[in-house]
Amino acid sequence: MLDYIFSLEFIFAVIRMGTPILFVGMAAVIGAKADILCIAYEGMMLFAALGGVIGSAYSQNLAVGAIVGLLAGLVIAAIFAYFVLYLDTKPLLTGLALNTLGTGGTVYVVYLLTGMKLDTSSLASLRFPTIHIPVIKDIPVIGSIISGHNLLSYVAFIMVIVVWYLVFKTRLGLRIRAVGEDPAAAASVGINVRRTKFIALLISGLIASMGGLFMSMGYMPYFTNNMTAGRGFIGIAAQNLGRGNPIITMIYTLIFGASMAIGNTAQSFRLPSQFASMMPYLITLIGLVVIGARNKKNERRLHESISRKSKV
Amino acid sequence: MNKTHKVITTKQIETRFSIIRTLLAVAIALVFAFFLMATVSDNILKDFTTLLIGPLASSSRMTTVISKMIPLLFTGVAVALVYSAGQINIAAEGAFFAGAVAATVVALIEGIPAPIHIILTLLAGAITGAIVMGIPAIMHVKYNVVTIVSALMMNYVALYGGLYVILNPLRDPSAGFEASFSFQRSAILPTLFGNNRLHIGLLIGFAVVILSSILLYNRPFGYEIRTVGQNQKFANYSGISVNKTIVLTSLLSGAIAGMGGTVETLGNYSRFVYSGFTNHGWDGIMLAVLCRNNPKAIPFAALFLAYIKTSADALNLTSSIPPEIISVIQAIIIIFIAAERFLANWEHKKIVANSQRALAIEKGE
Repeated sequence: MLDYIFSLEFIFAVIRMGTPILFVGMAAVIGAKADILCIAYEGMMLFAALGGVIGSAYSQNLAVGAIVGLLAGLVIAAIFAYFVLYLDTKPLLTGLALNTLGTGGTVYVVYLLTGMKLDTSSLASLRFPTIHIPVIKDIPVIGSIISGHNLLSYVAFIMVIVVWYLVFKTRLGLRIRAVGEDPAAAASVGINVRRTKFIALLISGLIASMGGLFMSMGYMPYFTNNMTAGRGFIGIAAQNLGRGNPIITMIYTLIFGASMAIGNTAQSFRLPSQFASMMPYLITLIGLVVIGARNKKNERRLHESISRKSKV
Repeated sequence: MNKTHKVITTKQIETRFSIIRTLLAVAIALVFAFFLMATVSDNILKDFTTLLIGPLASSSRMTTVISKMIPLLFTGVAVALVYSAGQINIAAEGAFFAGAVAATVVALIEGIPAPIHIILTLLAGAITGAIVMGIPAIMHVKYNVVTIVSALMMNYVALYGGLYVILNPLRDPSAGFEASFSFQRSAILPTLFGNNRLHIGLLIGFAVVILSSILLYNRPFGYEIRTVGQNQKFANYSGISVNKTIVLTSLLSGAIAGMGGTVETLGNYSRFVYSGFTNHGWDGIMLAVLCRNNPKAIPFAALFLAYIKTSADALNLTSSIPPEIISVIQAIIIIFIAAERFLANWEHKKIVANSQRALAIEKGE
C-alpha cells in the first residue's frame, strides 16, 4: 500500500479526484466570504456536467460545450441567488430544492435527448484534452508529476490563485468581504448589498460549474445519473476546514482527493471498499473537531487575557 | 353597529396566506410538471391524469400510498423537531439508514420471542439513529462546528459504515445480489388488516406524530425547544440550557428517524436490501418545510408526498415518463413554500386593510 502512495499513479489519482472538489472548494470560499450558505453546488455541477455534454455533442466544439455547461450551472446559481436574496428563501432549503432538481431534472433531460435513463454514452460528446507541457514534461520526476493532466485540473489550480487574488486584492473582493462581514456597515458606505452578493454567487456558481464540466468531460467521458455523488458537499466541508482561506482549502481538497484515491484502490489491498469510501468523511469530521477545539481554546485564552488586563 | 364587518386577527390572515402559498406552490409545480411531461409524453392528457389521480385507480395503488407514507411520518417528525430547535441538522438521512442497519443486526439474532424481538430492533434503530444525529449536535455545542457540514459528513459515515456491516459480516452469499441474511421471522413486523404491505409501523408512526406534537406544544420541554429555535439569546436569559436542549432534541429526532429506518426495513423486506441512501431523510426536510415544523400536519404532507410518489411509479409503468419528474415537482414546491417574500406584499396589504377596518370599527363604537 505504501508503494502505491509513493507512486506516480497515486499523485495522478489525487489530482484527478481532487479537481472537482477543488473547484467546489473555491466556489464555496467566495460564497462563504459573502456569508451565504450555499449548498446548491451539487445541483449546479450536475446541470453544468450535462450542459457540457449536450453542447459539445451537438456542436462537436469543445468551447461551445464548455459555454453551454457553464451557462447551465449559472442558471441554477442565478435561481439560487434570486430566491435567497430577493424572495427571502432560506438558503439551506433553496439549496436542497436545487440539488433535488439537479438529480431529477438532469435525468429527465437525458431521457428526453437519448431515450435512455442512465447515461449519455450514446451521445458523441467531447472531452477536455490532456496537456503535456512542452519543456517541463522532459524534466525527470517533476516533469511527469506536473505534466500530463487534464486541462481543467490545471484550471482548478490556477483558480486557487485567481480566487485568492479576487477576494483579497480587488475592489469587488473587498466589497464581497464587506457585505459578508457586516451588511449594514457595507450598505452605509454605499455598497449595494444584494447586488454584490448576487455577483458573488454567480462567480461562485461559475467556478462550481467548471467542476461539473470536469466530471462529464474529463473524469468520465459522459454524463451519468447523479455523477457528482456528494462532491459538492465535500467541497463545502473543505472550505469549512480551511476557514475560507483558498490555499488551506486547496490543501484539504487534496487530502480528500487522496483519501478517495486510496478508497478506489483499497480493494486491491484487501481492505473493504466501504471502509475506504468512508475515510474522507470521517477525516473531515475529526478535522472539524480538532479545528473547533483549537479555536475554542484560543478564544478562551483571549478572554482570559482580556479579563486579566481589565482587572489590572 | 348595524353593519357587522367581520374582523379577523392578523394571525388568521397569516394562516390563510400560508395555506394559499402552499396550494399555489403545488399548483405552480403541477403546471411545470405538465409542460415537462408534454415534452416526453405521447398522450399528455392521459399521463397527466395518471399523475393527478393515478393512485386512486386501484386499491393496490392506494395501499402503496399508505405504505410509502409510513417511513415519511418518522423522518418528517424527526426533521420538524430538530428544525423547531433551529438546528439545521440534516443527518436524518444517515440516521434512517443507520437505524435500518442496526435493526437488521438485531433482527438476525435467533431465538427471541416475537414481541420482545420487535421492541429490541426498534430500540437498536432508535439508539443508532440518536447517535448519528447526536454527534453533529454535540460537535456544534462543544466545538462550535457548523452543523450542516458535520451532519452531511455524518450521513456518509453512516452510509458507508452501514454498508460495511451489511456487505461484510452480514452478507448472504447465497442471496444472488448484495443483501444481508434473511431476518428472523420473530423480528418481522405484524401486518395490518390482513394486507401484507401495511404493517404496524403505521400505528407506531401515528403514535410518534401524536406524542411529538404533545411534546412540542403542550410540555415545558417543547416550549424550551421552540424558544431555543426562535431566539437562543432569549432562551439563555430566561434560564433555558440552550446546549442541553439542542443535544436532547437532536438525540430524540435521530431516535425517531432511526425507528423509521427500522420500521421500513422490517415491515417491507425480508433482508436488508438498500445499496445507497433511501432519500427518506431529505423527504423529511421537505415535509417539515411544508408543515412549518408542526408535527400535527406531518401526516397530511406525508400522505401528499406518498401520493405523488405513487403517481410517479404509475407513470413509470404506463408511460415513457421517467419517475424523476417527482424530484422536479418536489424542488419547485419546496422553493416556493420556503420563499418568505412570495405573495408577501399581498399579505401585507390584507393585514393593513384588516387592521384599518378594525380601527374604524373601534372608533365607530
